[in-house]
Amino acid sequence: MYEYDAFDDAFVRARVAQFRNQVERRLSGALTEEEFRPLRLMNGLYLQLHAYMLRVAIPYGTLTGRQMRQLAHIADQWDRGYGHFTTRQNIQFNWPKLKDVPDMLEALADVGMHAIQTSGNCVRNVTADHFAGAAADEIEDPRPWAELLRQWSTDHPEFQFLPRKFKIAITGSPRDRAVTRAHDIGLRMLNEDGAAGFEVSIGGGLGRTPMVGKVLRPFLPVADLLPYVEAILSTYNLLGRRDNKYKARIKIAVHEHGIEEIRRLVEARFSELRPLFGGGDQVRLAEIRTHFAPPVFESRSDDGFEAARRSDPVFRAWTDTNLSPHRQPGHAIVTVSLKAHGAVPGDVTSAQMRLLAGLAERYSHDDLRISHEQNVILPHVHKADLPALHAALLGAGLGTANVGLISDIIACPGMDYCALATARSIPVAQAIAQRFDALKLEHEIGPLKLKISGCINACGHHHVGHIGILGLDRAGVENYQITLGGDGTERTVLGERAGPGFSAEELLPALERLIAAYLEHREGPEETFLMAFRRLGAAPFKAALYPREARNAA
Amino acid sequence: MRHDPGGARIAELNARYRHHAGIRVLEHALTDPLVGRIALVSSFGAESVVLLHMLSVIDRSVPVLFVDTQMLFPETLAYQSEVAAALGLMDLRTIRARPEALAARDSEGLLHRQDPDACCALRKAEPLERALAGFDGWITGRKRFQAQTRAGIEFFESDGPRIKVNPLAHWAAQDVQDYMINNRLPKHPLVARGYLSIGCAPCTSPVTAGEDARAGRWRGREKQECGIHFINGKPVRGPVPQQEEAEEKKVNVIVTEAGFAPDNHAGGFVPLEEWRGQGALDLPADCDPASLLGRLDGPGVIRIVFGSFTDGRGFTVARRLRMMGYAGQLRASGPLIADQFPMALRSGFNEVEISPAQAERQPWAQWRASLDRPAAYQERLRASCEAQ
Repeated sequence: MYEYDAFDDAFVRARVAQFRNQVERRLSGALTEEEFRPLRLMNGLYLQLHAYMLRVAIPYGTLTGRQMRQLAHIADQWDRGYGHFTTRQNIQFNWPKLKDVPDMLEALADVGMHAIQTSGNCVRNVTADHFAGAAADEIEDPRPWAELLRQWSTDHPEFQFLPRKFKIAITGSPRDRAVTRAHDIGLRMLNEDGAAGFEVSIGGGLGRTPMVGKVLRPFLPVADLLPYVEAILSTYNLLGRRDNKYKARIKIAVHEHGIEEIRRLVEARFSELRPLFGGGDQVRLAEIRTHFAPPVFESRSDDGFEAARRSDPVFRAWTDTNLSPHRQPGHAIVTVSLKAHGAVPGDVTSAQMRLLAGLAERYSHDDLRISHEQNVILPHVHKADLPALHAALLGAGLGTANVGLISDIIACPGMDYCALATARSIPVAQAIAQRFDALKLEHEIGPLKLKISGCINACGHHHVGHIGILGLDRAGVENYQITLGGDGTERTVLGERAGPGFSAEELLPALERLIAAYLEHREGPEETFLMAFRRLGAAPFKAALYPREARNAA
Repeated sequence: MRHDPGGARIAELNARYRHHAGIRVLEHALTDPLVGRIALVSSFGAESVVLLHMLSVIDRSVPVLFVDTQMLFPETLAYQSEVAAALGLMDLRTIRARPEALAARDSEGLLHRQDPDACCALRKAEPLERALAGFDGWITGRKRFQAQTRAGIEFFESDGPRIKVNPLAHWAAQDVQDYMINNRLPKHPLVARGYLSIGCAPCTSPVTAGEDARAGRWRGREKQECGIHFINGKPVRGPVPQQEEAEEKKVNVIVTEAGFAPDNHAGGFVPLEEWRGQGALDLPADCDPASLLGRLDGPGVIRIVFGSFTDGRGFTVARRLRMMGYAGQLRASGPLIADQFPMALRSGFNEVEISPAQAERQPWAQWRASLDRPAAYQERLRASCEAQ
């Protein structure tokens, strides 16, 4: 795990002092609200519907038990005893007071954490595969690169006032669990003839103009990463539109100028910048890598695991859905669902945080991950420990066996918290999860990604949900549009709109018809919803959603 | 035709129309040469249809200005279309804030919460001020009964260089209702839901029985008027010009690592398009630095102008000029704030030029304090292997 050195520590502490001073200057009037706004945003402080919101970075989604405990402490001390994990590996506290925020930042600095650049028009928290360092299919752990990018982007003098926010995601596996094609820059690690490199794509993003990222450089030698990313940012800073907030992201620049022109500009910039990097970055990288050395795994019998699976159907159901293959024999990656049926997706109480911290220290080499799907991961658990771990989780309401199923919903905060939202999303997610739980159908339905956004800004990633739900406001009435066939993996497909939206009351019955149609048409349980959709196309699903129209046409 | 909207003329108009009905006042306002070119400004709110109907009966070609703050209820937008079509209004002009102004001052659409006055200025008062530029007067639907602040309004009022006409000034609430019923005019859909005075969605709430009709506007705040009409009892619209003129006469302040100093640069700066290759050069932030390749020995001093402090292009332009080999003086000019001083210096600037007002609000101590910072990550990452 990366631990701050003296340089990092001095930096975040100075930054806290600087922000404390900025808050004082705002209160004294030396800074206007307009001037203060970007400063608080680049320190993670938003103004939301009811209060300020502090967004804390969980770099590349990795936490130690100690850090998780500190988040619990912050939640108890300055908030309402809980936090909310977002879809970009951050945790949000929804009720801080402005005067307390510097103290909260200081508490974060105490455990090597920060809220720097978690909002504002700058390079945001770099996200990574949440199975990094554990996944069986990994080429290389991407987190040292993510940490290198974090250091490079932090307080970069050129890029604190970009046209718009800028998001980078990185994965070290050919299977893309970081949705890299939906980022301003997506980095996918490749191996060509024994040499490691990145496939660099740019201009992906969801939001009101969803676009799949385009490949800018099919293979970038890994050592060229920083100058190349700097060249992209430098090009974007001058080229990105500043006249219209909704057209300011790099995806619009790519769309308007074409990927060829952007490539020409970036490569020209890169050739100027490359010589300025004298190898210091690679020295830093080597040093960072030592922090991410794999843990020393035990080799012992996992007989207890199989026995428990045979004797305990609840445990077996949980292992069927919540485990992923680990590269180390005898081990598993455990995903702890934060989506108990009826719970708020991504919300976790301070008691749960402390429990998870303890379990990580005991069973997972003191390693916790936060996924963009708003779950917590214990990446290195020996299979023999799984029954005990499962029992502990069950006792805290964290034993839900639904990872990857219809109730493992991604949802944005929606109109209950967010000033931009046009519809509720959390209550909708709760209703759906409870309904399919009551029907006892979700294990029968199998893998299905359902994602809900409460407005066209698409924080719930509905475009890449196998089923996506977009809540809109139609003349003062909430209206929910359904998209079908989206996919956030390395194939990245944006879902297509099924048809007219549904009222809040009509939505659940419509989803039930949709799922019934899938169960009726699939070739067998091994054909997932997405596979069936790809084989059959949208027609049978639309017919189920809109039976009246289908009858009229017939 | 421009008029002196002086007190005598206003008084004469008020005297002339004292005993006239609202529609007569409107009719005369549209034709009286003392008034000049005139437009009707309407919010298409709860009571607006009355005045719009009167106008449509008299002359449907009179310009109607509708300020779309882009924060309005969808019901208002729908109602606006419905009423304009029903009355056959022929010159409806929808007024909006400039996208670049919105991007610079309220990119998140949340300004109304921190500073509702600034939001009204940005989205309503300033766009309207621009739209009224070609008119000698404007017609409003303000009525005395609506609020304390409106208890003294007259048919005709002076409003800066223009005349403001309030044909319904003396109407009572019941008059409005009667007129709407008698003429079968469509009601704003939100009225049925308890909104008796309708502004922007974030700052308007329904009122309960017994409350003042405008009680739902900016509820919980002291604010009562949107800024088109009155602030502190005085007509104020758009930016206050006198202050800015005074500032321009003062000398700007140059900030360097050594402190504040007056701007001693003599001879001015030449804009890029007029620049002959020698002497001080003014560059806009949206220029392409590559266009100066091979000509960088000429200027001696280059000034890069930041349009706003949130527009960070100038930092990249400066860094590129340095990378292209420019070794002369590099000045950042514009509304930069003290917190950006380290960014400016690290991007290659030597100095920042700020207004005297900015220097007063953010004195040297704040610029100096911004330099108290640890070493930057970027320098460490760009260092050579040997330096580590």
